[in-house]
Amino acid sequence: MSLLERRKEDIERHLAKYPQKQSAVMPLLYIAQEEYGYITEEAMEEIASIVDTDVTQVRGIVGFYTMYYSQEKGKYLIQICTDLPCALRGAEAFSAKVCEALGIQPGETTDDGLFTVENVMCIGACDRAPVIQVNFKFYENMDMDSFNDLIEALRREHDAMQPYSHE
Amino acid sequence: MADTVKITIDDIEHEVPAGMNLIDAAKLCGVDIPVFCYHPKLGHDGNCRMCLVELGLPRKNRETGEMELAWFPKLETACTQKTCEGMAIRTTTERVTDARRAVLEFLLSSHPLDCPICDKGGECPLQNLTMAHGPGTSRMYWEDRMHLGKHVALGELIFLDQERCIHCARCIRFQEKIALDPVLGFDMRGRKQQIVTSSTPGFNSIFSGNTTDICPVGALTTADFRFNARPWEMVQVATICSHCPVGCNMSFDTRTDRLAGGRTTIRRVMPRQNEAVNEIWICDKGRFARHYMEHEERLTTPLVRKGGMLVEATWEEAIREVAAQLKAAGPNIGAVAGGRLSNEDLYALQKLIRGQGSGDLSAYLPNATGGEIAARFGVGVGTNLKYLGAGDAIVVVASDLHEEAPIWWLRAAAAARRGAELIVISGRETRLDVEASQSIRCAYGAEVATLNAMLGSLPKTAVKAGESLDGMAEAIVHAKEFTADAALKAAAKTIAGAGNAVIFVGSEGLTGEASRELAQASANLLAATGHVGRANNGLIIVWPSANGQGAADMGFDPGFGPGYQPVDKPGRSYGDIFAALADDVIKVLVIAGADPVYDDLTAEESIRKTKGFIVVQEMFLTETAKLADVVLPVQSAAECEGTYTSGERRVQRFYPAVEPLGESLPAWLITQRIGEVLGQGAPSVSAAVLLAEIGRNVPQYAGITCQTLAKVEEQFPDVGGEDLYYGGTSFQNVRGLGVQWPTLAEQVDAPLSVAPAQAGEVLEPADGEMIVVPVTLVYDTEALFFKTQLLHQRVPLPHIGLNPADAGRLDMVDGDLVSLTIDDHRVAAAAYLDERVPSGVVTIPRRLQTQGAPLFATTAPVVKLEKVEA
Repeated sequence: MSLLERRKEDIERHLAKYPQKQSAVMPLLYIAQEEYGYITEEAMEEIASIVDTDVTQVRGIVGFYTMYYSQEKGKYLIQICTDLPCALRGAEAFSAKVCEALGIQPGETTDDGLFTVENVMCIGACDRAPVIQVNFKFYENMDMDSFNDLIEALRREHDAMQPYSHE
Repeated sequence: MADTVKITIDDIEHEVPAGMNLIDAAKLCGVDIPVFCYHPKLGHDGNCRMCLVELGLPRKNRETGEMELAWFPKLETACTQKTCEGMAIRTTTERVTDARRAVLEFLLSSHPLDCPICDKGGECPLQNLTMAHGPGTSRMYWEDRMHLGKHVALGELIFLDQERCIHCARCIRFQEKIALDPVLGFDMRGRKQQIVTSSTPGFNSIFSGNTTDICPVGALTTADFRFNARPWEMVQVATICSHCPVGCNMSFDTRTDRLAGGRTTIRRVMPRQNEAVNEIWICDKGRFARHYMEHEERLTTPLVRKGGMLVEATWEEAIREVAAQLKAAGPNIGAVAGGRLSNEDLYALQKLIRGQGSGDLSAYLPNATGGEIAARFGVGVGTNLKYLGAGDAIVVVASDLHEEAPIWWLRAAAAARRGAELIVISGRETRLDVEASQSIRCAYGAEVATLNAMLGSLPKTAVKAGESLDGMAEAIVHAKEFTADAALKAAAKTIAGAGNAVIFVGSEGLTGEASRELAQASANLLAATGHVGRANNGLIIVWPSANGQGAADMGFDPGFGPGYQPVDKPGRSYGDIFAALADDVIKVLVIAGADPVYDDLTAEESIRKTKGFIVVQEMFLTETAKLADVVLPVQSAAECEGTYTSGERRVQRFYPAVEPLGESLPAWLITQRIGEVLGQGAPSVSAAVLLAEIGRNVPQYAGITCQTLAKVEEQFPDVGGEDLYYGGTSFQNVRGLGVQWPTLAEQVDAPLSVAPAQAGEVLEPADGEMIVVPVTLVYDTEALFFKTQLLHQRVPLPHIGLNPADAGRLDMVDGDLVSLTIDDHRVAAAAYLDERVPSGVVTIPRRLQTQGAPLFATTAPVVKLEKVEA
């Protein structure tokens, strides 16, 4: 099913906001990312045709902005801020422990496809460091206990739902 | 604002045009400000920081109230500044030289410095500017460098070296702003930033080669030239592109080569700057299609038919045979000449045929005519499409310029973006419609009626300029018989009110007679509204070949002699020549530089049927040559010299670049040697002497000599000069800009007249029938062009264009193999569904079929269009 078929209303809402269709590229890319978990080749091509530009232009935007993903990610994207204030509060050591607990390196995804860990730049919650985002939702003043609880909760949430599918 | 302003560069005052880009202005004053990302054709981007200067602007002192020069605290990019009164810059201070060194060190932080194996080495702005301004050594560690792809194919034609790229975005900006194919872009950012293309096929643009010319480093190279030669080893030989009527100035860069057995070979084709013709651009066809010239299948000896077989013969034998046949046939002879032939070739050929008493001379393809109308109402001397903009109008009628004359498309689109009104009148939507301010769809065959209706809709005040012309009153009365809707009235009003107006007259879907009437209708409209007889006004015929205008000028038009002088008895038209051949009325037919057997089913039948004698002058054993009685091998445009006349009537000279292949001779010399046997006099010593003879006998060419054609003048912007930063060693035009000959409308007291343009019938196909329209593609399977392997991937598969609604009615889907029957001939091809093809019409790309397609049988109703069952 095409993006337009899946999210026609949202796409049209965004297109209507701008005098030029090309301006809607970024919100449309977010829609694609919501739908597929990352931005697929097909989605780039479809968005290019929706906003009437060449797919090269769309790819350039995906490449430029770090929060668009052109590779498949885990169901839960864990972003650990390791910028200066967080680092001073032990974020780097925390990140290493998180990776060890999940058995992966930063940038990798667990074998069950559930968790991806990324070290990121400042996400603007320095006073509550270490801080992480899981699918862009904030979890603050983290330590390994609260992290393990969070992982448990996410695993329960996943098990309770239908198996995740990209189709 | 004054037209000029005074600016101070390094304490010296200069007077420069106001509002000019500071880099360009400084260059005019002889001051070089180094750049990478700035290019006068692309405008500023400000990304490379190489042009940093100290900048001062006048400011009012708040205390004293007096004007004083205030210097900016930091260095500014010169490329983002426009000249204004009192501006001052310093380009040689320590701050500036430090900044240049720092920028170069930064740009070189990951540059591989592989100049010894780089194609750009020797004409590379990065190399030049590093020598002039850069640090002598690097502070970078090897481990800190980015190591990236060295041979990234952006398509099969253009390769990217990611390590060499300095991210100036010239290529991206060229594709976006000039080629209008935005297929290049940046992916990622920071040190990972890379040029990418995602189009299918890769780097999908017919102007892609130009990016390698303007690339200021060796990042973009062509598949044709990479690792092929060093720039300083090559000799630039001026030439003119032989593929379309634009007449792009190019250079064959040649090298004498041990690998080629000591022969001189062409290593690359580069544009040569001519701001009035192609600026500094050429299309990929012009750049890459040269390989046929050195193809192994080139004919190297004359062939004579003996016992049913074509066998090798001596020149003496072949020429004697042809002369004997011509002599025996008396005036029952004719000639068909392709527009790839030079003026000299064409003049000699018509002289031979006319000298024997026949006027049966046809140009090929014969469906574009009207050279005589262009000689009267063509664009004025000094025309430069670059100067058309806001307040001007460009009309394109019955032509797909993007495919037929790519550089005109580019320049028309650019004019539209500068604000010119672009009116596209055609039977189907083409790529130019996107840029048009007004798109007018008319039925195929109704083009003349459309232009007539536009003329007829104009009020008396709007046609005042032309009222004194002979025949204008009748033309207008005739035009009033056609009704104009609101769109046509608006378009006519736009043209009448335009400061300058140019009409491109095409021939898509037209017969020879219809295209002549279309040129007449265009001339009437332009003359009535005062848009003739001066620069940037008049009509341009979109000839199907490079020298279509020259062929008409030399008398390859049944109605006229050379120079449009009247003839006692009109000759036969193209169709009549082949009909007469089939009936053995014409006993000897000379076909030069044309392949009618491949293109035209009717011509093939005539040639197969006739008992007459067929002489072919050609580079290859084409389908036509295979059926000939004598085949005479001619030299390619790279081997001989001559002149072409562009669609804008600019006569331009090309020079021999390489040694002739085998025993091949220039076409004019072959013709004159035949003439010598027939007692027409000894051959000319050279093409230049023949050009002088043309000057004596063709009034328009009076005064056109090799000397006048070789004149050059300074080109602006200067990108081919001695500077270090625009790069490229081939741009500079040192061998001549050519001469545009004046139209009759430009001459005082010339006998100028117009005539009513007769609209042909618009075919109304019966139920189940469709109209066939042959269309021209830039890349096709024409015998010469298709010898160039490099471009094969860009040539579409044989197909016909069909409106989806018609396809639905006929139960066809995209890609179905269909056959269509035209006058008992069947053509089979895949159906491409295309909404831009009007309902009731089938488009057939010319020269894309495995078997003959109806080149000239335009607007012939298709009796049947049926699906071929698998």
